[in-house]
Amino acid sequence: MMQTVVEIRNVTHRYKGAGEDSLTGVSLTVKEGETLLLCGASGSGKTSVIRLVNGLIPHYYKGKMTGEVFVEGQEVAKTELHELAGVVGTVFQNPRSQFFSVDTDGEIVFGPENIGLDPGEIRLRKEMIVEQMGIEKLLGRSLFELSGGEKQRIACASVAALLPGIILLDEPSSNLDWEAIEKLHEIIREWKRQGKTIIISEHRLWYLKDIVDRVIYMEGGHIEREWTAEEFGRLSEAETRALQLRPTAVSEHFSAAFQDKVDSNNSVRPDVSDGIELKDFYFSYVHKPYVLWKKKFSAADGDALSLCIPELILPKGKVIGVIGKNGTGKSTFLRCICGLEKDCTGIITVDGKEYKGKRRIGVSYMVMQDVNHQLFTDSVESEVLLSMKEKDAERCHEILDSLGLLEYKDTHPMALSGGQKQRVAIASAVAAGAKLLLFDEPTSGLDHAHMKKVGELLKQLADSGSTVLVSTHDPELLEQCCDYELCIRKGRAAYFRTIA
Amino acid sequence: MALKLDPRTKLFMIFAVSAVVMMSATTPFLWMLRIAMTMVPIGLLTLEKKYASAFRFLLLYSAALVLLFTCISEQSEGFLMALLLGYCCIIAQFMPAMITAWYVVRTTRIDEFVSAMQRMHVPDGITISLAVVMRFFPTIREEYASIRDAMKMREIMLGGGNAARMVEYRMIPLLFSCVNIGDELSAAAITRGLGGKVKRTSVEALNMGMQDYMTILFFSAALILFMVFKYLK
Repeated sequence: MMQTVVEIRNVTHRYKGAGEDSLTGVSLTVKEGETLLLCGASGSGKTSVIRLVNGLIPHYYKGKMTGEVFVEGQEVAKTELHELAGVVGTVFQNPRSQFFSVDTDGEIVFGPENIGLDPGEIRLRKEMIVEQMGIEKLLGRSLFELSGGEKQRIACASVAALLPGIILLDEPSSNLDWEAIEKLHEIIREWKRQGKTIIISEHRLWYLKDIVDRVIYMEGGHIEREWTAEEFGRLSEAETRALQLRPTAVSEHFSAAFQDKVDSNNSVRPDVSDGIELKDFYFSYVHKPYVLWKKKFSAADGDALSLCIPELILPKGKVIGVIGKNGTGKSTFLRCICGLEKDCTGIITVDGKEYKGKRRIGVSYMVMQDVNHQLFTDSVESEVLLSMKEKDAERCHEILDSLGLLEYKDTHPMALSGGQKQRVAIASAVAAGAKLLLFDEPTSGLDHAHMKKVGELLKQLADSGSTVLVSTHDPELLEQCCDYELCIRKGRAAYFRTIA
Repeated sequence: MALKLDPRTKLFMIFAVSAVVMMSATTPFLWMLRIAMTMVPIGLLTLEKKYASAFRFLLLYSAALVLLFTCISEQSEGFLMALLLGYCCIIAQFMPAMITAWYVVRTTRIDEFVSAMQRMHVPDGITISLAVVMRFFPTIREEYASIRDAMKMREIMLGGGNAARMVEYRMIPLLFSCVNIGDELSAAAITRGLGGKVKRTSVEALNMGMQDYMTILFFSAALILFMVFKYLK
């Protein structure tokens, strides 16, 4: 008989200052060694459940709470957070904000040092964990130079170094590419093999299907459904869609595309007669040595280039999905198009008019992954007006209306939800008159319903005449809204084809 | 070969140099002492193979000194001279402290720093806040870079010609994201046992070596000499 290690008894919780309960009457027991998946829309209470188990509720995030939570027999509300450190470990969503150290070694030993272990013992543990996870190559590096996937692996290692019996993961794959997700999958499987109890909250379901034992579906702060792994595996696509869940499987076509297994020689470039032409896009982050003038990049630089796209025609009024592994130049490509990398040569031709250098900024606009960086003013309306060369309140209202933002025109952008902020950023892009709209992973960390909305929005933008380039790791988004897919490999356009 | 100094020695360096920086040098001997003290962190940076920053500091500092002693006299007047004077005085006066602080931040790992503070029995509250500040520098730089990108894209780098706006557009998003990151960061650190009642240990063994005693001796001597010659002679 397996022991119960986590027990949540009829918990209702409301965050301080929130208008409604985040959890209502949640009861859940988890047995030792079980792997549990929490799924459901954003705001359905998944993260709050994770916080109940690691004690951040009620100790860190204050609010009103009734009911009890027991973890390994201790009542969480009466246990100090640092006492839970060796019992429960948490891997968070955002790799960049869960580090305390600035170097990888320091990060792995951070937890054990905090609980006052003997230095010799800590060193042994570090060696053991490093070997288990196969992260020898990441040691001795600055955390700020690692990729998202590598950061997430260090985060996993630093949690594992405390040897907790229970490991919680809060949307761990949000910022990862396909390859990094596979590595994460391996780590979770290793933990499962070690007999750890694992609770994962996640939107991406396909990579977890073969590891979970039980699936909990949450809605509006309570547990709505529960499946065993077999039942969950048998759910049809129609059923998952009705529950607003992301699909549990990825079609052959996209799985090959994301694992970069498509033979690029077989693909024909789409025949586009009328399009936006990109020409001579060469760029590298490493400069050739120069004395007075920077030398311009050109095709002759060959392998030294991190971006090398001699010619590409983007069909007008279409949505083009940009795929490729992290670090192969997707973001560089987008940054070069919109003129942020000013050393990038490259000419954009729209309707026979050429845009070079700084002028590229006017014709293209990028909606960044973290939209918080893109909002500058104190109301939605002034945010949009800021983008207009000639302030035109009527046109501004028109744009806001088409994006469903008119009722928020006097709201402070920072008070909006994530999806609304994204739409404000899009509204500013449209107001700026950009013909080429670029999106850098707009759906990472979004649930199915929000992703669908983003997809519809991209289509709507394309239908109204803009050309949309969207970099993504989500096969669901490609399938839903993209007309073409463009694969970037080592800074080169590996293939560009229509999506059947 | 890098000279590994104990964080406590580095803190003492900051203290000594800052103290000297706050007192104005009036005689050639005092200037000499002060320049000697500045050369130490520059030399240490070179040993750490941070040639570029060592060279930049050296260049900036010596340029200010040379200008101060040659071009500028009590008779100099005019707008340009005033500007130059201001620049030279600020650099010559405060650069030593900046160089030292830069050296310390660049070469001290956070865990080393935390255990050094603990050895000195500094309360945890202070230690942890300072450690978070050190951790935050690179984060602020990253965030600031993406905000600048966003501003470039919206062509509001100059805030529409309004200086207050220029600052506002930079600071508001920066503050928001730093607050968010700080919040997530503390939550993540607490779940890994930070702030517990247990005495924190450190893998990094701290040992004061010969080089530490020499450095401390040098800076104490310089500080004492400076004060003696300035106030007692």
